[in-house]
Amino acid sequence: MDLDFITQSLVIGLTENAPLVLAAIGFALLYKLTGLINVAYSETITLGSYFGMWLNTTYGLDFYTILIPTGLLAGVFSVATYLAIFRPAKRRNVGALEMIIISFGLSIFLRHSLQFVFGYPQRYYDVPPPDTIMILGVGVTSFRLLALVGVAVLSLLLWLFIQRTSYGLQIRALASDENLARVSGIRPLVVTVLIWFIAGVAGGLAGAFYGVGSSVSPLLGWRQFLLILMVALVGGSWGLGGVILVGVGTSVALAAMALQFDQVLYAQLVLIVVFVVVLKVRGRRLAETTKV
Amino acid sequence: MVADVVDAVALTRPRIRVQGAVKSFSGRVVVDVDDLVLGDRPIEGLIGPNGAGKTTLMRMIMHSTPLDRGRISLLPAGGGDVVLSSLPAHGMARRGVVKSNQVIMDFDKLTIWDSLLLAVAEARYEQPHRIFGERTLFARHADEIRHYLDYFGFADPTAFAMSAGEKKLLDIVRCLLLRPTFLLLDEPTAGLPDELTEKVMRVVRDLAASGTSVVIVEHDLNVIWNLCDEVLFMAEGKVILRGDPPSIRANGTVVEKYLGEGHV
Amino acid sequence: MTPDFLGSFLISGLFDVVMVIGLALLLHLQLGLARIANFGVVGFWGLGMYTFGVLYVQVDWPFGEPFQFLVCAAAATLVAGLAGLLIGWLIGDLDTDGVLVGTLGFATAVQILATTQDDLTGGARGMGGLDFPYDIGRVKDNEFLWLAITAAVVVAVLFYAWRVHRSPYGRLLIAVGGNEPLARSLGKSTFRTKLWLFAVTAAAMGLLGAMNGVMAHYLDVGNIGVGVTLAAMVGLVLGGTARVWGAVVGVILTVGLFDIVIQSYLPLPKEWYTQAIPVLREAAFGAVLILVLLFRPLGLLGDMRRDKLMGKIHGR
Repeated sequence: MDLDFITQSLVIGLTENAPLVLAAIGFALLYKLTGLINVAYSETITLGSYFGMWLNTTYGLDFYTILIPTGLLAGVFSVATYLAIFRPAKRRNVGALEMIIISFGLSIFLRHSLQFVFGYPQRYYDVPPPDTIMILGVGVTSFRLLALVGVAVLSLLLWLFIQRTSYGLQIRALASDENLARVSGIRPLVVTVLIWFIAGVAGGLAGAFYGVGSSVSPLLGWRQFLLILMVALVGGSWGLGGVILVGVGTSVALAAMALQFDQVLYAQLVLIVVFVVVLKVRGRRLAETTKV
Repeated sequence: MVADVVDAVALTRPRIRVQGAVKSFSGRVVVDVDDLVLGDRPIEGLIGPNGAGKTTLMRMIMHSTPLDRGRISLLPAGGGDVVLSSLPAHGMARRGVVKSNQVIMDFDKLTIWDSLLLAVAEARYEQPHRIFGERTLFARHADEIRHYLDYFGFADPTAFAMSAGEKKLLDIVRCLLLRPTFLLLDEPTAGLPDELTEKVMRVVRDLAASGTSVVIVEHDLNVIWNLCDEVLFMAEGKVILRGDPPSIRANGTVVEKYLGEGHV
Repeated sequence: MTPDFLGSFLISGLFDVVMVIGLALLLHLQLGLARIANFGVVGFWGLGMYTFGVLYVQVDWPFGEPFQFLVCAAAATLVAGLAGLLIGWLIGDLDTDGVLVGTLGFATAVQILATTQDDLTGGARGMGGLDFPYDIGRVKDNEFLWLAITAAVVVAVLFYAWRVHRSPYGRLLIAVGGNEPLARSLGKSTFRTKLWLFAVTAAAMGLLGAMNGVMAHYLDVGNIGVGVTLAAMVGLVLGGTARVWGAVVGVILTVGLFDIVIQSYLPLPKEWYTQAIPVLREAAFGAVLILVLLFRPLGLLGDMRRDKLMGKIHGR
């Protein structure tokens, strides 16, 4: 394998798929802290890309300006889905399996409602063509580079927030033992809303980065869902760092395989097989503990 | 001559051997048993204060709780040595090692008849193509099941087990229907009224008399004194006393110190 | 032969209903009884359809109909069954999250393979050449007969599911779904049970897929997306996950409502049918899933009545 191939895979992988890492972090946050697999998270991503595009085309703001409001809007949307659907479900003692099906239903509903409202033609961000910067001999658009930098910065901020602030402490406490947390004076509703908000911001920003790079469509988030799910599930067991690591590894692998096979779908197929095998091998070890 | 017969009978009981078994939770040693053989006497009782490690030891035998160290094996009546931790979860019952549950465990969607037919069904009836097998299965086992239903007084077996006591009893009957060679009972009479406790004891006695080894964990000492041929006293993870009921009762000071005056 | 009032649309709509009922019944065995959330129903169905289609069109068969159909359909069933065995093995000792990944990943993989192996399958362009294994006259007559044959197959699936409830096998499935560790403590090999459940139900899904391919006359990767899984799932959930008839009732009220009543009988402007209605259909299905699971999780028909069932079979 020559150096060119490696550098290309690395640079392209990291910059093109940086949004994947960000989305996986947001998804994993929800998963690890609330135990919920939220299939509708992919729609948070999609809506992020739509919010960004709407702000950009309606108000003529450039891409860098719309990022923060996009993130905030997506965060609010995420909280709204929690308050409207998932919190009531939890109160009705809906089981884990049914929760996944509900989130699946929500994802379908949102995706097709978007399609109904916005129709079929593809939408685009109205941005000037980005500059191309040469990194290690590979041409990268400034947007992609921004995405990479953004993801790195956000991941660091998130890690600091969770590990170093008092709110982060409350989040971790709630995640590990709800009753104890409640007794310690932590208000579960406030902390849970915070978790959903942060996850929403991450997803929305990922959507904006995805959208500006290509086009905005109702299927944007769903197309990435399986990959996000696999990265979060496999990487999540090693914490935030694990998700980032697995996400980065996946991004590079995707780029490398796309270069090699000249067919993106093959790359996805290989990854599906690899992830399922990893989950299976790990699952074996856990199965032995569920005995009466 | 009689001694030979007694020895011969002892040799044909299945036994369980616990060697160097240690289990800690959060740094605290909960079970530490060096060398213990269970099953030499027909019915053995395991008593001790809360937190002595009795239930944990039972769960370690069943491999529901993995061992930190050590080895627990089944020594079947016919000879041989089977390391219990190497068996898959469903292998225990296949080998005749069955444990009742201390915590209520039930199938919410299955009626009493369902639960018992499930316990008793052989694997060949439970295949995807045997969609007409119910009649045959029922014909084979209905009498055996009805015997227990009538004996324990289940009023309507087509209904679901509702009360905790009913579910406990159901769990015990399921264990009995599995024809165990080694039966572990974890607080079987907790929550049962006296007449049912009597009945459970009688059934256990009959089972033990026909060759099954029984180990029973109990807080109700009346059951222990009346039922057991041998009693083991556990405290702080170790078996510190072992003997027939009179000698354990005689060791009054120890028992009193741990279990309070009223019991001796 | 075919009654005249049965327009082509109606036959096609009825066929969809029958097909989804079949899938929902099989999903009932997996999800309703054994509590395995199979998000990859379309994967087994699509695998069967494509195996059938590829063999039918690409192989030069030395014999004619109906043997060509029978051989290809048998192959489709076998391949889908083997896939079920593989996926069952993969997910058998995984928790719900792992099952989601495994089944969804499988369905995605099938769609990817169908798209990339385009010299075999026609890929994104699609592939025609599938046809009925007989010719009895007008197109409508052929379609109607195929509808009847497929309905017969689905009735057989319904009968099987109905019998499973009344057999030791069904009892075991319910036990595995209800409390797997407890079932294992009774000596039941639950992993093997789930494995063979998947193999058998996946094989049946594959057969249905082959039959769908015949009716469609065309293989199209767009038809093997998550919408098929959604239709089966929403029908089952609405009708009642735990009841055999739940699949029938629920699918009639969802797929039947949209594909027959709305498509054929509602006087709406024409553009609506091609653009808006299909999208609204999916959105409505999603909403139904949420609403049912929030407010009436056991669906319209409610829970299993095993006490009544046991009373009926075994008496007091």
